[in-house]
Amino acid sequence: MEGSRTLVSVMPPSKPNVDRLKRRLLRDLVQQNVDLIHGLARRPLRPRRPPYLRLAGALALVLLSTALIGSTRLLSTLAASPAPPPPPASQALAASRDPSPLATLSSLAPLAPPPRGSRSPAVAADLPAPPAPPLDPAVLPLAVRRVALDAGHGGDSHGAQTPLGLLEKDLTLDIARRLRLLLEERHRFDVVMTRRDDNGISLAERAAIANRAGADIFVSVHVNWIEDRAARGVETYYLGPTNDPYLSRLAARENRDSGYSMADMRQLLDGIYAGVRQDKSRHLAEMVQGALFRSLGRVNPRIEDRGVKSAPFLVLLSTRMPAILAEVSCLSNAEEARLLARPLYRQYIAEALAGGLEAYASAARGVAAGNGS
Amino acid sequence: MTESKPLLQVGIDLGTSRSSISASNGQRHVVESYVGWPLDMVARKVLKKPVLIGQEALDNRSMLDLHRPLEQGLIKDNSEKDEAAVRELLWHLLSLVGVARDTRNGMKVRAVVGVPAEALRVNKQNVRKAMHDAVDSLMIVSEPFAVAYGLEALLHTMVIDLGAGTTDFCVMNGRLPTDEDQRTLTQAGDWIDEQLSRLTRERFPDARFSIHMVRAWKEEASFVGNSRAPVVVTVPVNGKPTQIDITQEMRQACEALLPPIVESMFDLLSRVQPEYQEKVRNNIIVSGGTGLIRGLGPRLEQELAAVGGGKVKVVKDPVFVGSDGGLSIALDAPDSDWEKLTG
Repeated sequence: MEGSRTLVSVMPPSKPNVDRLKRRLLRDLVQQNVDLIHGLARRPLRPRRPPYLRLAGALALVLLSTALIGSTRLLSTLAASPAPPPPPASQALAASRDPSPLATLSSLAPLAPPPRGSRSPAVAADLPAPPAPPLDPAVLPLAVRRVALDAGHGGDSHGAQTPLGLLEKDLTLDIARRLRLLLEERHRFDVVMTRRDDNGISLAERAAIANRAGADIFVSVHVNWIEDRAARGVETYYLGPTNDPYLSRLAARENRDSGYSMADMRQLLDGIYAGVRQDKSRHLAEMVQGALFRSLGRVNPRIEDRGVKSAPFLVLLSTRMPAILAEVSCLSNAEEARLLARPLYRQYIAEALAGGLEAYASAARGVAAGNGS
Repeated sequence: MTESKPLLQVGIDLGTSRSSISASNGQRHVVESYVGWPLDMVARKVLKKPVLIGQEALDNRSMLDLHRPLEQGLIKDNSEKDEAAVRELLWHLLSLVGVARDTRNGMKVRAVVGVPAEALRVNKQNVRKAMHDAVDSLMIVSEPFAVAYGLEALLHTMVIDLGAGTTDFCVMNGRLPTDEDQRTLTQAGDWIDEQLSRLTRERFPDARFSIHMVRAWKEEASFVGNSRAPVVVTVPVNGKPTQIDITQEMRQACEALLPPIVESMFDLLSRVQPEYQEKVRNNIIVSGGTGLIRGLGPRLEQELAAVGGGKVKVVKDPVFVGSDGGLSIALDAPDSDWEKLTG
């Protein structure tokens, strides 16, 4: 038992090797900090390959790129018409008749064999994989069946509150409960609530609940508090940042000399899907924001459209499905606070949210239908 | 030129519960991460100080506007008071190793500060902002990386750094850890305190105790598995000092930490290249104050049996292992690199 409480003296590499390793780590660490100072995004850190491996990898990269591009073209082709024959690289794929685009993508991996004679399958994991081609979210026409509803705050986390004691955590729970009824009874969604009563629950747990439930979309309901008390209105967030043109340039630069290995293929595909998820999240945010603004405008004529925005909310970061955070009113604004205190206004909010979610789900169904699935 | 300025390198582990500093002049100090300002004129008169830090702040908390400025290992957002508290804490740490406020004794100070593994860019920028006036050059590293570097556990190793605010995981592959190599859980020492407090309150509803008392109980008697002796504490019940047995609550609170730790450990292990997984399994290092829960190492080894077995080693001196690692980085980084990190 206590024998394990011993200070570690770790480990095998020889001193010169450790020193070399340290120098390399320090160089990368300093670069990471320099990037932080200059506001640059984190670089992917991968050990650089010897030139012959990078050359061999380039071949695999070209083959895989061809395969991936071929796959997206094939999907578009299938969506438009069954007539033209698929390109050769995709024939095996077409023969499989697998309707799942995700399965389709993963089934492509064997089309890019590692260079012959050079590596065993395990070692082939060192070969660079291709930069991810842009993927149209429309090729992932996934239906929306289950909605995760997250009532912001709860327990000791009161969120915003007015001097008269109106608490954000109570408002969000009330709205989420109303929304749940609407979604289940009127729109026939399965609904998962991250909290059903006044429980304190961490952001990680909220995301984990949605992930475990296999929710198709995640909606976090919040009420805004803005220093400028005159400000009012609704705004909806999705995980960002995407408004930074620098990121696009950086990605292009980094992909050009990629040291990614074949073993990273899965992560690359995950990355592609993450991009799709962000697109879908933005789309979902747009639908919900539009519905909130239009619907609430009927009963709150001075409401402001504060727009769709991206921000690194942790609860959005940790969820694996398209996810948004809706600020459904401003508790800091006296008039909106008065409205929020009325059950009928909270019902309007729930109705507006339900309308936005249904619009998004319908659009997804439309894409699916258009793709012939 | 300012090149002749004496140089001081420091490693700082800015912790939610305790913060430590290790300096190149051989000094090492640890303080409770509490900062308090006297509530009113009377308190100021009694305390005779404009600001109190560490244990002194904790001891006089009834007279203070007390802040624990770090939450889950990060500077709390949107609170000027907490930002000010972090600055006070940093200056206090620096003063303990001989750096005078404002003038810095004419020294050039280079600091390496550890933050949680998955700290966001904005969190790191907040640390930079807080440190801006206090040091000449600053490097920010993930806490488990600092630990690994200090122990020279740079290859095929997993570090699990159990702090008060976060539990940080980091697999060292001989390269700077990427996001895929690291995890941060918010279940850590403070979370155990909350569980223990809740469980104790449920069983002894009339008992009166504070979270500070609960923390002290945990630090004294935390364990998983079998208890060596009953955990008995004294608390006021209806105003009368009473001994209560919280052995069961202590076990339950501490063992609640196991599932998320084990899950994250397995998840990270599964991402290690297959040929190295066994090596990593046999080189798991547990650091941090919460890592001193009695029986934790053997219990994690039991869990590892499910994936082929492994060895878990617990760092004996968790208080300074992070700041010592930071100091090692500070000492090893060449001048040319530090110049890039000025300002």
